[in-house]
Amino acid sequence: MMISLLLKKSSFLQRNPLFSKPQFCFSLLSSLTQSHKFSTSIQNDSNLNSGISFLDKKNNWFSLFSLKRLEKIPSGIFCGVNFYSSQSHAAAAVEPSTSDGLTVEGILANNWTILDEDESDWKSHASSIAQSIHLIKKRLKWKKLLVRVKMLSVQLDKPDLWDDPVQAGKISREHGILTGKMNEVKKFEQELLEHIDMIKLSREENDTELELEAVKALIQMRRSVKEKELEALLAGEHDSCSCFIEVQAGAGGTESMDWASMVMQMYKKWAQRRGYGVAVVDEMPGEIAGIKRATIRVDGEYAFGYAKAEDGAHRLVRCSPFDSANRRHTSFSAVAVIPILGEGFSRYQIKESDLRIERFRSGGSGGQHANTTDSAVRITHIPTGITATCQNERSQHSNKASAMAVLQSRLDKLEMARQAQMNAQHTQSLAENSFGNQIRSYVLHPYRMVKDHRTDYEVSDADSVLEGNIDDFILSYLSASLDNDEDEL
Amino acid sequence: MKVSFIRPSLSSIFKPILFQTLPNRPVNFSKISSPPTSLKPQTPLFLKPANYRATLSDLKKWQLWAKNLATSVGTKFLDSDNGPDSALLLRELGWLIQDAVLEGPTSLSSENNPSEVVVSLRACLVDLYLLWKQRIEERRPFQYLVGCEHWRDLVLSVEEGILIPRPETELIVDFVSDVVKENEVLREGLWADLGTGSGAIAIGIGRILGSCGRAIATDLSPIAVSVASYNVQRYSLQDKVQVKQGSWFEPLKEDEGKFAGIVSNPPYIPSEDIGGLQAEVGKHEPKLALDGGATGMNDLLHLCNGIASMLRPGGFFAFETNGEKQSKFLVDYMENESKGSFFDVKVASDFAGIKRFVTGYRAT
Ligand SMILES: C[S@@+](CC[C@H](N)C(=O)[O-])C[C@H]1O[C@@H](n2cnc3c(N)ncnc32)[C@H](O)[C@@H]1O
Repeated sequence: MMISLLLKKSSFLQRNPLFSKPQFCFSLLSSLTQSHKFSTSIQNDSNLNSGISFLDKKNNWFSLFSLKRLEKIPSGIFCGVNFYSSQSHAAAAVEPSTSDGLTVEGILANNWTILDEDESDWKSHASSIAQSIHLIKKRLKWKKLLVRVKMLSVQLDKPDLWDDPVQAGKISREHGILTGKMNEVKKFEQELLEHIDMIKLSREENDTELELEAVKALIQMRRSVKEKELEALLAGEHDSCSCFIEVQAGAGGTESMDWASMVMQMYKKWAQRRGYGVAVVDEMPGEIAGIKRATIRVDGEYAFGYAKAEDGAHRLVRCSPFDSANRRHTSFSAVAVIPILGEGFSRYQIKESDLRIERFRSGGSGGQHANTTDSAVRITHIPTGITATCQNERSQHSNKASAMAVLQSRLDKLEMARQAQMNAQHTQSLAENSFGNQIRSYVLHPYRMVKDHRTDYEVSDADSVLEGNIDDFILSYLSASLDNDEDEL
Repeated sequence: MKVSFIRPSLSSIFKPILFQTLPNRPVNFSKISSPPTSLKPQTPLFLKPANYRATLSDLKKWQLWAKNLATSVGTKFLDSDNGPDSALLLRELGWLIQDAVLEGPTSLSSENNPSEVVVSLRACLVDLYLLWKQRIEERRPFQYLVGCEHWRDLVLSVEEGILIPRPETELIVDFVSDVVKENEVLREGLWADLGTGSGAIAIGIGRILGSCGRAIATDLSPIAVSVASYNVQRYSLQDKVQVKQGSWFEPLKEDEGKFAGIVSNPPYIPSEDIGGLQAEVGKHEPKLALDGGATGMNDLLHLCNGIASMLRPGGFFAFETNGEKQSKFLVDYMENESKGSFFDVKVASDFAGIKRFVTGYRAT
């Protein structure tokens, strides 16, 4: 413990060059002069973690010379953060703490009042950070995460791992990603405790300047951890992927097709607002207005992570402009969101011979007889009957490529569902499946309100929602589905 | 600009303006080794400099006018000669905007005051009115309007005098791709695309051949030769694809018997059908590219007769035909007339299920 605290200081110095003043070094050294023992066994040291306080037992160890020696020790091995991450098994068992034995759990349990950021009470900051860390752990499903990492590590250690390079690649990739997440949280915990140690130390030394800096660092951390809370909402396996969004009109003719196109419009605007690339892949217009169905491709980081919250049926209540008597109508649109796993990640291997590729809506003799810019293609996956069409590209080749991408994603989604032993049943369009699962209502008459049935989150400015302002719905759903989970962590 | 400003009578006044604004030549044209003719291919709209400005509100007015014009068509063209319906015309309008407006279609949905927003255009607004009028009233093919056709993963320059490559024909490149994937001799060999038009097939093939593979593209039409050369240049294939002028096998004489593969989409429409073609085709595309004589088989038969001596043993061929009748006839013809010269002669269908192609190999 002692060593690690000392090293914390030197790493603190590295990260905060402001502190590398002679004055600070002097006070640090002077506080160490009474030490006389140098323990070489780090493993033992961390197991010694029994709340021994550095400040209480100054006589425990070592003299001036060892500071020099310590600096020569490669920091990657001994430095707090890396130490814990490279020893994940041990770390799971040993909870890090401050020199006087305060743990992150302990901070949480203290229930210190959280004040505004500008109040300089360090306990308030610490408490806020501890809460954020707790929330992040919950969102990451911490215990499951640790188990999964352990399991993957075991698999990675198997000698025959690379006999199946594809599988091995997947395992090592997932291991990398999950360990990264795990280490980040551990780093936060470590950092929080370091800051607290530093504050306590500076008080001990009456070093107000150091204390001020340490509190500043704590505030900084409070902010960045707060931001991480949001990121942790999107920790699902495919959350970072791009995606397809499919909208399908329910029964009810033109009114319902108009509603489907309003929903699609909402997503296009939402995606544009977020800076995602949007491309219409497939669109089947209604006879009079609106769309029967449409598929768009949304490209960008976390497009799926956010959009997946929209999967389900969306209900509209309004006086229909398509009803000559202007009566009130209720209509539904089904939305399906499908991640685009990307090359090399697909779950379903499509066999060329299982495909039927057809010119969609073709007539006449074709070839030299016809000059048409319509080169829509429909691909049918014969074994499952799943089809995909694309008509918005300017060449048949590109329409085919686009339709293949949709087909691949649909089959991937089906395969994932099958693997999850959920529902192996398929239909023409995944969106059709969603009608049973009503997630949100949009009421435009007699009052105006949009309400999410899963979270009860509601707003009255329906127009703004239909203009694509749906982030609050998405975030409230994502946090509700991850945070309300009552199992701790 | 008022919509009513454009009247049929005015198009004759605008025409000179249009052609004054279209003389842009490809910047790199001079690099084409020795153009066999003096014809200068036109630059596709999407490659032209965005030298024109218009306010967003004026552009939107044009768009609205063009939409209405397209919508008014309904299924009229479709019913009369299998031409485009409104839905397709509206999609084309979107693509015209894509090609003509520098900032792309998103600028049209800008939330700022549209009378203050200025957009950059690759054609002036007057031309855009004129072009869309030609599309609807004269049935001028969309691809001639924008000067290009998206074909496979290529964007090919096309203009009057050149057959606009068809989606069906994309498959010929797929056939070649399948064949060369498994056969290194063919992959590294010499290929020919006879009657290359825009150069589509030859360029498609040029991009899948191995590092030693070469292709010769031929056409009788000087415009085709010049446009094909321009397209070859645009894809930096001038070292791989050589464009030659001449009738069918004639420009290939010096390489007789050396070809790893020969493909062609020759004119195959029977002469009597030419009059009843869809307006976009019959009124605008070159007869030389379409008319295959009384049965439509004149050129196909000529090609079948000469191909055995041009191909090396094991060499591959693929022809596009008018459909089942011609394909079957050709298969029989090749198997009976020139017994033993070919093997694996087959008919292949296009994506509409029409028996469109005949493929096979020269006997070894
Ligand atoms: C149907 S078009 C095919 C063009 C192009 N290969 C394609 O698939 O888009 C037929 C082409 O054959 C050319 N052609 C017609 N008669 C020819 C001849 N006697 N020798 C060479 N080419 C000829 C035409 O100029 C035209 O470009």
